[in-house]
Amino acid sequence: MDGKSIFDELKEKGVSRREFIKLSGAIAGAIGLTSFPSVEAQAGTSARFPRAYQPAQLVAKALASKPRIPVIWLEFQDCAGCSEALTRSESPTLVNLVLNMISIEYHETLSAAAGFQVEEAKRAAMEKYAGQYLLVVEGSVSPKDGGIYCSIGGRSSVDILEEAAAGAAAVIATGTCATFGGLPKAKPNPTGAVSVMGLIKDKPVINISGCPAIPEVFTGVVAHYLVFGTLPALDSLNRPTIFYGNTIHDRCLRRPFYEAGKFASSFDDEGARQGWCLYKLGCKGPTTYNACATLKWSGGLSFPVQSGHPCLGCSQPDFWDGGGFYQGQSAPLSKPAGTLGAMAAGAGVVLGVGSALANKQQKKNAKKSEPGEKGGSHELE
Amino acid sequence: MIATQQAINMFVQETGGWAASQLEACTRCGMCAEACHFYQSSANPEYAPVWKLEILKRAYEQRFTLVGKFKTAIGIDKKITDQDVAHWSELNYYACTVCNKCAMVCPMGIDLGTLLHTVRSGLAAAGMVPEDLETAVMKQVIEGSPLGMTASVWDSRLEWVADEWEVDIPRDVKGADTLVVFTSIEVMKFPTNVAAIAKILNAAGEKWTVSSSAREVVNFGFYEGDQEHEKLFMRRLFDGAKELGVKRIVVTECGHAYDALRFHAPNLLSEANDYEIVHITGVMADLVKSGRIKLQEGFYDNVGTLTLHDACKIQRKGGYIQEPRDILNIIAPKSFKEMTPNQEEAICCGGGGGVIAIKAADPIRYDVFTLKIDQVNKIGANMVTMTCSNCRLQFTDCMDHFKLDWKITGLAQMVADAMVE
Amino acid sequence: MNWNDVLSFARGPLFQAALLIFIAGMLYRLVRVIGLGWSRNHVRPKKSQTKGVVMSYLKGILIWPFVPWVKNTFTKNPIIYLAGGLFHLGLFVILVLGTAHMLVWKSLLGFGWKTLPLPIVDWFAAATIVAMVVLFINRLINPVLKLLTGTAEWLNLLFVFVPMLTGYIMTHHLFFQYEVLFSIHMLSVDFLLIWIPFSRISHFVFYFFSKSIHGQEFAKHGVRA
Ligand code: HEM
Ligand code: SF4
Ligand code: SF4
Ligand code: SF4
Ligand code: SF4
Repeated sequence: MDGKSIFDELKEKGVSRREFIKLSGAIAGAIGLTSFPSVEAQAGTSARFPRAYQPAQLVAKALASKPRIPVIWLEFQDCAGCSEALTRSESPTLVNLVLNMISIEYHETLSAAAGFQVEEAKRAAMEKYAGQYLLVVEGSVSPKDGGIYCSIGGRSSVDILEEAAAGAAAVIATGTCATFGGLPKAKPNPTGAVSVMGLIKDKPVINISGCPAIPEVFTGVVAHYLVFGTLPALDSLNRPTIFYGNTIHDRCLRRPFYEAGKFASSFDDEGARQGWCLYKLGCKGPTTYNACATLKWSGGLSFPVQSGHPCLGCSQPDFWDGGGFYQGQSAPLSKPAGTLGAMAAGAGVVLGVGSALANKQQKKNAKKSEPGEKGGSHELE
Repeated sequence: MIATQQAINMFVQETGGWAASQLEACTRCGMCAEACHFYQSSANPEYAPVWKLEILKRAYEQRFTLVGKFKTAIGIDKKITDQDVAHWSELNYYACTVCNKCAMVCPMGIDLGTLLHTVRSGLAAAGMVPEDLETAVMKQVIEGSPLGMTASVWDSRLEWVADEWEVDIPRDVKGADTLVVFTSIEVMKFPTNVAAIAKILNAAGEKWTVSSSAREVVNFGFYEGDQEHEKLFMRRLFDGAKELGVKRIVVTECGHAYDALRFHAPNLLSEANDYEIVHITGVMADLVKSGRIKLQEGFYDNVGTLTLHDACKIQRKGGYIQEPRDILNIIAPKSFKEMTPNQEEAICCGGGGGVIAIKAADPIRYDVFTLKIDQVNKIGANMVTMTCSNCRLQFTDCMDHFKLDWKITGLAQMVADAMVE
Repeated sequence: MNWNDVLSFARGPLFQAALLIFIAGMLYRLVRVIGLGWSRNHVRPKKSQTKGVVMSYLKGILIWPFVPWVKNTFTKNPIIYLAGGLFHLGLFVILVLGTAHMLVWKSLLGFGWKTLPLPIVDWFAAATIVAMVVLFINRLINPVLKLLTGTAEWLNLLFVFVPMLTGYIMTHHLFFQYEVLFSIHMLSVDFLLIWIPFSRISHFVFYFFSKSIHGQEFAKHGVRA
């Protein structure tokens, strides 16, 4: 990080100008840039591109002028799956490009160094880039019982996060663990896991949910930050709307079958072979906001629903507790356990019998208080 | 408040699971309104059957249900007042003939007629029976008949009938098979009916008798809804029957009397089931079928157009639907024409349930009869026959009131006239 | 609090609580009514009571009210009878033969069944909504119904109408996001479940009492039910 621009660094790696422009276009596409004036204004480039405004050129210009962004990557209660997904992404050009736009100063799993050495490096980076670095968090935080369930180098995850967040320009929570608590927070949540957003209140936290988060979405967000210097527009769960604006169901290729009411009833029936809708097999697509159906996975090859598996709803809060994965979405999340139902039934019966007894007594009293000889009254039938 | 208390007490006594389950079933859909001739003729929403039941429903909810008790405690539901009791007394005694037509259309199948009878029981317990009706009841308690047919009056009337129409009326014959009980309406107002029935039974060779102690089959306690009175009047009949040792009691042309004796008595007096209780319509049909009496075919085919008025308590509630039609198809195959609606769905004459005995209800009663006028006029009938003298009373009264010139008659009379020796 | 949480709450704890209240409430009512006692009827029936009861149901379910002219009394306002019939038929089709709802039964009962194609259920849903509007208007203008209708009756209509309408809009992905409608759908269903034991919607249970009584009574009197 010595003042060199990203383009300079790319040139050193042998990327030609031609390739560079092409990649810029790809990035522009990834972050959803199209020609609209507000983007121009945002970038403050209207003077340079007075007429024919080109998104790719906008990106290229940013890459050519801006230095790489320092990133500190923290992992807490996670499985490193999000990191894995990013580094093993099958759209290497794009992701590599973005990885080239950042300089990862600290990453538990990727750093070659270890122990106090790497902790020291982190402290140094935090000092050097105070107020400039992006903090990426993977995994949920555990404040319960003094933080004993997740600590690194003798410090609790809460401490580490708060310290790192203090000097960050922005915080990116990647993966559903970090964004909403994810698997560690699943009932009964033994470690009292909370999301990053649940702890950091004084900084913008941008959520890139998914289990794991889609690498292209992560890189898209970083590229956006790089190009514009700002975070993209967010939804009510702090997720960038460019990627989380639609549900899986909205963009699903099986949707026409849903509309026609054609459902696969098992994974190997005729419906499944015909590619019918997976609603009955538990698809959570209708309530799941993510970009799987458009960006897809494995370099745009496929995504779960396309491959015949219902959407699990992995980018939504509490998806582990959102009903069985293979249970239709309309099914209730919990049904009264046998004993509870029996108790309710029992309570109803007791109440009913009590009422009936009281009412019988009332009937007897009514007969007694009847003036004159009114015995032998019979209910008419 | 004593009146109200007594009404509620009676409701509480009378409401068991049978009534409660039906009160719970009502969805307040209002469809029963369309069935009721009182609503049809007046368009007064308060005449909707379910609304006539409202007081019973309120008593049930307020006394028997937790929600009802709670709602009354916090004042959402108003307690039943004396005014309410008085108001529902008018609704029920003036504007309901307990004809059970409403039960035919209720989508839930609620047996409204029986429940409406229960409402009357409560009103009677509260002493809220209209004066005219109460007077008639008391007359029956004291003199044995609401029309003043005391033992001596009965004696002389029957003598006269026997003389006038030259029929034998066996009286107080011990060991007869069948006891025939007439209504005072027939004896006092339609004596031809008495003669006709005697003629028919004699011709068939029945071993029958009338009884001087069981002389009045009309039961004004049933109209009123007071079970004690109801039982008193029934007991007189059963005592008479026991005395003579008969096996069968034949109710003559009176609807409510048949209803009371056939369908209420068994639940009030255990001796009721010692007898076979039948209506004269059924007896006549049987005699014709078995050939014990012969009718001249087409005897009435030259009278113009003849129609049958279905009496609620003999047809819709009594089940004698096919019998009168079988007879008419013999004696008037060409002139007999059905009104619509008919049979179980027939429109009530408007005079039953004691309504005709209540002077204040006259305008309502006449209003209702306009429905009948429409029905009869639609098929252009000039002669109407029926199996109930109470209907017949309403018809003849309305002939006067509306200046109509239809011929009104009873089925027994027609059968007697058409008999071939 | 976002819609996701509302939905989880409405499908989870609230639904569970509502179901328990429903079970307890309905049993209370049933036991209370039966507990009032049934005295024996000593009247000798004129016709077979079993047959009467069977006929009562056949007529009630198969004929009424889909064929308004079967009974003459219905000629006055056949539309209301048709609307009532259509509403109940629609409700049955939606709740039993709709895929989403069958999955609810399946999760509760442990077994499922074949369902109708969505577009057919959808037509029923639309017809049911129209029928409910007709019934609503009728309740507003019919003088008898005006007399009979209190707050509780309006709430009955509302509590059934909201799930109906939100279900329909949700299935068509109109106006609001799916989970918003799903949330309202579920909330209203939960309220409905809680409301039923306190209201006359419980007639679906007592129907079997009154309809049996009807058949029995009419047979006793020797009359067609
Ligand atoms: C536990 C109870 C219930 C659950 C879980 C539930 C769930 C659902 C779901 C998920 C859908 C949408 C299906 C889709 O998107 O394809 C739906 C549709 C619908 N629901 Fe429900 N529902 C319940 C009860 C009810 C009730 C009680 C009513 C009516 C009173 C109702 C009326 C409807 C209607 C009318 C539709 C639209 C059907 C169509 O247009 O095809 N639901 N319901
Ligand atoms: S979100 Fe999923 S992939 Fe990412 S760290 Fe958590 S469990 Fe692993
Ligand atoms: S498979 Fe899932 S996402 Fe696709 S249409 Fe069916 S329910 Fe919607
Ligand atoms: S019993 Fe007859 S008169 Fe009485 S409310 Fe019903 S339909 Fe009307
Ligand atoms: S028709 Fe039956 S359910 Fe409807 S209001 Fe009348 S009694 Fe109640």
